[in-house]
Amino acid sequence: MSNTDLSNIEVNQKPVAKRSNPFANVFNELVSFCRSRSMFMLHYCTGCGAIELPPAMTSRFDMERLGIQPMVTPRQADILLITGYVSIKTLKRVILTYEQMGAPKYVIGICSCTVNGGMYWQSYATAKKLDEYIPVDLYIAGCMPRPEAVIEGLQQLMAKIKTDEANSWKKYYEHYDYYLGNQQHLFGNNWQTPTDIIGEAKTYQLEGPNTLGEHTKILESVQRPLEPLEMKL
Amino acid sequence: MQVTLLTIMEVILMPIVAFIIGLFMVLMMRKLAARLQRRVGPPLFQPLFDIVKLYGKQTQISHGMIHDIGIIMAVGGYVAAEALLPVPGMDGIAAKGGLITLAYLTMVPSLGLALGVGQCANPNGSIGISRALTSMLAYDIPFIIVIFGVAYQFSSTNLVDIIATQQAGGFSTWGISEMPVLAVAGLFAMHASLGKQPFEIYIAPAEIATGPMVEMGGKFLGGLFVMQSFQLYTASVLYVSLFLGGGENWITFLLKSFGVLAIPVVIAYLFPRYRTDDLVRLVWKWPVMLALIGIAFVMN
Repeated sequence: MSNTDLSNIEVNQKPVAKRSNPFANVFNELVSFCRSRSMFMLHYCTGCGAIELPPAMTSRFDMERLGIQPMVTPRQADILLITGYVSIKTLKRVILTYEQMGAPKYVIGICSCTVNGGMYWQSYATAKKLDEYIPVDLYIAGCMPRPEAVIEGLQQLMAKIKTDEANSWKKYYEHYDYYLGNQQHLFGNNWQTPTDIIGEAKTYQLEGPNTLGEHTKILESVQRPLEPLEMKL
Repeated sequence: MQVTLLTIMEVILMPIVAFIIGLFMVLMMRKLAARLQRRVGPPLFQPLFDIVKLYGKQTQISHGMIHDIGIIMAVGGYVAAEALLPVPGMDGIAAKGGLITLAYLTMVPSLGLALGVGQCANPNGSIGISRALTSMLAYDIPFIIVIFGVAYQFSSTNLVDIIATQQAGGFSTWGISEMPVLAVAGLFAMHASLGKQPFEIYIAPAEIATGPMVEMGGKFLGGLFVMQSFQLYTASVLYVSLFLGGGENWITFLLKSFGVLAIPVVIAYLFPRYRTDDLVRLVWKWPVMLALIGIAFVMN
């Protein structure tokens, strides 16, 4: 596993020229405001933390008044909630799901299991730190956090989005080699996903110096082109 | 009739007005749902926030050209329909189009959606769209019978004439007091056409992952949200024009159209969902029967 710790690395922000026109950034600010006020969440209920989400959504705490509502597919969602321990088999699905979401996308790790493995620290089959495999915007610690804590965390994320600071989804494109390396360490060198992250990074000009590296070379050597599934009745 | 600059301006303005009213209708729907579930509900501009956010997504995942065109058809069908629906002070091209054209145009969005979803090649989406077309087949039959009855009653397929006749005679000549049975059947068909519970077979979140919306993200989902606001507007304003005398002024027009929409919405959030075959059986039996009885009253 690569030893570099990415948790403190800042995302490469392209220098934005300061413009004198006060209305120049109005549109961008409007979009980030709307992003912060409308969040569709995909709750990937991996563990026990999922039990705290229904009370947060329904009449007692009502997330919809903050503009947060559940969605059912990754394509529609903005936030991926990982609610509990992530076993290695689950992690594959989490990564597939994460890669299918449209950017800007945010990941929230709920419960202490996503922070450091929690009570599954000694388990051989559990991924300990979620942000070694996908960039995480926010952790809500606790075993399990109460709905108040979940909503408090979501409000912190809203504040970050409003000021355009929640950019960790760019990290996945800019440091893809690091994340892919950690994924290959767990799943073996044959690991590949249907989403072409390198191609997306090139298309949307999110490439960084660390997008390509030794691990993406391994990926290129084993990558098979996607084939349509065989039709069976 | 001559095409004047005023007509062109109205044709541009009417979909914009419809979109704004439609956004408030979406808000009303979500607020009512929240109230029925004893929640607070979304803030005032939530539908707008959703749409701006979806269009502002930075990576857009398209599945090909037909996928893009399908969404344009879905929204465009309703945009064209709005120009045929008279609102107070603006008739647009309603006098030329008439009810039959409008009935055709309200089917275009479903077909556009079918094209767009077809290219996504997602089995959930395909199941969803086949259910959507099945339910369209179900509710269109009472809908067409109701339209036929109304056209026979007012001896016109011209919405401007129909509204003028109702407004000239006051409440006693409104569609709802002249042909109450048809009005009930029309409400039933309108509820089914909105695709809300218990007729929500094609948007089944837990079952087929919201059906047609399954592969839609970013601007495509945004397009569907825009389409939804147009859909609510079209259904309720068409019902108001046929049965409630249209709008004498903007206040009564908005009151009537929001009031009509509130009925199916309130019913919707109290009921679970039918199965596809149950829906077809139900809609082909009760509203069709009511509509035929209504027509018998109208024609005697």
